[in-house]
Amino acid sequence: MDLLLETLSKIGFMFALIMGMVVVLIWMERKGAAFIQDRTGPNRAAIGGVRLAGLVHPIADVFKLLFKEDVAPEDRHRGLYNLAPWIVMTIALSTYAVIPFGDHLTVAGKQIPLVVADLNVGLLYILAVAGLGTYGVVMGGWAANNKFGFLGAIRATSQMISYEISMGLALMGLVMVFGSLQLTEIVAGQGDLLFGFLPRWGVVVQPLGFVIFITAVYAETNRTPFDLPESDSEIVAGYHLEYSSMKFALFFMAEYAHMVIGAALIATFYFGGFQIPWLPRPVLEAHAGTLLTIKLVGVLVASLAIAALFMRRVRNERNKFGDARDREPVLGVAFWLVLAAGAAGGLLMGPWNIGPVGADLMATFFQVTAFTVKLVFFAWLFIWVRWTLPRFRYDQLMYLGWKVMIPLGLANLVVTALVMAFV
Amino acid sequence: METILFWLCGALMVLGGVMTVTQRSAVISAVWLIFAFVCAAGIFAILDAPFVAIMQVLVYVGAIMVLFLFVIMMLQGPVLDNEKRRLLKLPLWPAVAIPPVAVLVLVGGWIRRTGTRDFGGTVPEGFGQPAAVAELLLGRYLLAFELVSIVLLVAIVGALAIGKEARKLPWK
Repeated sequence: MDLLLETLSKIGFMFALIMGMVVVLIWMERKGAAFIQDRTGPNRAAIGGVRLAGLVHPIADVFKLLFKEDVAPEDRHRGLYNLAPWIVMTIALSTYAVIPFGDHLTVAGKQIPLVVADLNVGLLYILAVAGLGTYGVVMGGWAANNKFGFLGAIRATSQMISYEISMGLALMGLVMVFGSLQLTEIVAGQGDLLFGFLPRWGVVVQPLGFVIFITAVYAETNRTPFDLPESDSEIVAGYHLEYSSMKFALFFMAEYAHMVIGAALIATFYFGGFQIPWLPRPVLEAHAGTLLTIKLVGVLVASLAIAALFMRRVRNERNKFGDARDREPVLGVAFWLVLAAGAAGGLLMGPWNIGPVGADLMATFFQVTAFTVKLVFFAWLFIWVRWTLPRFRYDQLMYLGWKVMIPLGLANLVVTALVMAFV
Repeated sequence: METILFWLCGALMVLGGVMTVTQRSAVISAVWLIFAFVCAAGIFAILDAPFVAIMQVLVYVGAIMVLFLFVIMMLQGPVLDNEKRRLLKLPLWPAVAIPPVAVLVLVGGWIRRTGTRDFGGTVPEGFGQPAAVAELLLGRYLLAFELVSIVLLVAIVGALAIGKEARKLPWK
């Protein structure tokens, strides 16, 4: 019973993290694109004049997509057409089962590892599930009975097959270095230091493997420069062309969920997962009180500074628009002042002396935060790349996949094996 | 719990198999076959063989069936014209019926002779884990493993030689 409750709460945490990230990523994508193209980005959706810099837009999207008419082509294969969006979404969500998001949490004297299922074939599980993800795309493109959709499905299949091999090859180098297929052990292995000062991260011990892996991940998530299955300028929208309403939304959300997976995998395999460099778990627990105090002071100073900035806007822009939008900076001041008050209250309670239970909790909190920060950074990297690079041509895609990535992956394996055997 | 899961996976796998052979559309058949493969992977996982279970999904579902679907989908659209469902010709019935009946008879005979229904018993520590499989593959069965690799390599070269135009082959 305890185990069931534990697992359910971990699944719930992961689900909330992913879905929250999906909403944030959609906002980040629009704002990021606008930033790179020197625009303002979405700023029209508002609740009572409050726009939250475009964060209201995802809410508006949800309502729009929920109430939109579901238009479907007459000559579709009904079963597969309805099944495809669910497959895409389910597969996208099930990869997270093996990704560790923290070391452990002590509840009532019992250590709970912070990973839903610590499989000892975890790495292979990820590769297997990633391979399943193709089916939703292929079925969706085929069942809609549309030529463009079908072209998208065909492109998705060939792209997935080509890049899965180099992904596996890159990961095998990592497996050789850390000697395990278990994700918790790979992450634990990245907590050490190399030569006494360098964190033993995957990217440090497997630089070439990292480049191959990140390229393959971009190809597997169908993001630019590898977004051929849905390239809008050639085949309209590819495999999800004939989908509308919530079915389209599922495809859309699954794309962002895949980005979060990709970011989580890059962080876990090559950037130490939840490990904070130079601060291993015992050190974190020993100095948790000090770190918490530093953190609270930092939050206090930062939120006061931001509140002051908003205060200036309140003073200077009192009649800028002449409508409800002028009230927005006041809310900003209120939010940051509440945060500052919270930090000050925390400081008054004496955070430097939190006891062993509190230390454990804070160490876990810092590690989960480190994981989330890495996640957000690599998710932003996806957006950054999308709005910077143009799309590959189809023959370039195949050339890169088969004639560059796979030989490089093999060379990486051989060099890793030689170094491990003779050094 | 394990028994329930075992029978559930088994029943779903049989359902997948039956649906595979009774569909008119080849694509839908392939989709049901994928379903049956995933259920088989579930059974492997219950039987203390996580590595085989994952490999079943990774190789059969993730690679081979994707290629199958790729080819079938190119040849057939989603909506079939009025094609009638036909029974197999009578002379072919034994060919389909004999293998499953033979398996049933063999298993039934084994149960009768040994008088036991315990097929597995307990497995040793670490059974079915990647390390144990690797030790067998790269130790005891190394020769067979390498020979199979060579056969596959020859098959790839052969497919290339047949598939490509003769004048474009690298050794011409």
